[in-house]
Amino acid sequence: MNKDREEVINSSVVICRGGKIKVTSREKNRFIPAFITAAAVLTIISLWYLDIEWIKLASRIPDVGNVFWKLAHFNFDKLDLILEALIETISIAVLSLIYSLVMGIVFGMLGSRNIIKTKGVAVLVQSLFTFFRAVPTPVWVLLMLVCLGMGPEAGVAGLCVHTTAFFTKSFAQSFEDIPAETLEALESTGTNKLSVFVNAVLPASFSQIIAWTGMRLETNFSECAILGMVGAGGVGFVISRNLQNYDYGTAGLAIFLVFIIAYFIERLFVTIKKRIA
Amino acid sequence: MSEYKKISVMARGQKRLYTGFIVVIIVLFVLTSIYTNFNPVILIQNGEAFVEFIVNDFFPPALPKESRIMGVFSSVLVTLALAVSSTTIAAVLAFFVALFGSERVSVFPRFAKVVRGFATFLRNIPALVWAFILFSSLGIGTGVGFIALLISSFAFMVRAFVETMEDVSHDCVESLAAVGATFPQRVAQAILPSCINGFLSWYLYCIEVNIRASTVVGMVGGGGVGLTLFSYIKGFKYDVAFSIILLIAVMVIAVDRITGSLRKEINR
Repeated sequence: MNKDREEVINSSVVICRGGKIKVTSREKNRFIPAFITAAAVLTIISLWYLDIEWIKLASRIPDVGNVFWKLAHFNFDKLDLILEALIETISIAVLSLIYSLVMGIVFGMLGSRNIIKTKGVAVLVQSLFTFFRAVPTPVWVLLMLVCLGMGPEAGVAGLCVHTTAFFTKSFAQSFEDIPAETLEALESTGTNKLSVFVNAVLPASFSQIIAWTGMRLETNFSECAILGMVGAGGVGFVISRNLQNYDYGTAGLAIFLVFIIAYFIERLFVTIKKRIA
Repeated sequence: MSEYKKISVMARGQKRLYTGFIVVIIVLFVLTSIYTNFNPVILIQNGEAFVEFIVNDFFPPALPKESRIMGVFSSVLVTLALAVSSTTIAAVLAFFVALFGSERVSVFPRFAKVVRGFATFLRNIPALVWAFILFSSLGIGTGVGFIALLISSFAFMVRAFVETMEDVSHDCVESLAAVGATFPQRVAQAILPSCINGFLSWYLYCIEVNIRASTVVGMVGGGGVGLTLFSYIKGFKYDVAFSIILLIAVMVIAVDRITGSLRKEINR
């Protein structure tokens, strides 16, 4: 509110020739037009560099309609197979979320500067996990597939790498937001470090932890749904194999179910967020 | 001695929430562990082989053949170009669609729900699934990767833009509507000035996401550095693959840094 009012005061009211009131604010961010121009130029260069054969693509658009038409005719013959894969996918997503939640809290503690005061530990933890976070999840899963062989283990372990890194960063941020006075007050009563963490830091950042977890569940599910496509199991495998075998009805049904569950998770998360806030 | 009473530091309501959360987590943990047969003990027992594999096959990171080095760098450029161009075009499209996705702004308020529902549908299907659907109809190539990224970031930005507009500007829009401003005037004078910062922040966020996503879409046939990485892993050249993973990490971190400082500049 205050900001709005300031803007009103700062903007000058100049009456122009036509009797119109000019209402442009003086305090404009000059950076924004420059940014937009730069983005446009970069995009044009990128498109030129990519050299996409638009005409060829456009000529195949009727095929897209065709495929969607076929996808929309659900084939319920393999419903049990799809459901099984879907439950496996959800299980992998949830399990990796839980493991990462625990690891994220531990590493988040190690990575926040107000809790671990030894110099360098936080920086080391943060930069290691920045690297883990920078590499996309499917790459980790692919590596885990190579190391551990096929099966849900690779999926869980691969997802854990990225999710733990994400949690470490966001939890460390939440932990660092806790005022130093709170920690000092408890420490001065002789509470040991672990107890301070469990009784003060965790409860204070609890609602944020839930929010991050909910957000991550959404991402994890969609990541997990695509993992099958790079060779791990689950519903992604069902989708990609059926698409490659031109069994569009089954693939369409699987995609639709993925959509339903993703939508359900999103709604659930929105409700939880509303109740906490 | 043990007569003293402990004082609970937490509020009672919060404690209940705490317990509920932990119980849910434990139940889910047990259920999913049983279903997937995932046993961390086995993983740790296999740890030795795992570490050995990493140390022997991945380290030290090796350079690809000299003739391929330029190819690797140009594939990084393809990935970057894919992400930037698809996000920008998606942002422009999403801006116009988002105008019709908010009941307060749109000229057809009844239509807003349909727009949002459509965006929700597009968004909740992962980019890679779009890529696969499009590969089966359009064939493999960068163009298809472009469209797949376009669809998912378009849908994401429609939602984000609608939320930004709902948060910021309905007072402005209403007062302009009251003095008789037309729809394009309302957009240009009320919505754009107050929301542009939010829009651009989301745009930058989307670029960050799309850099990762375009690597992944590349892996299944969209071209770019993902495809390069995939071919090295398939060819069991793990040491080269490792240096490409490092390259991807450097690329992503650099982009995150740049977008981070741009975002600060925009919101100043």
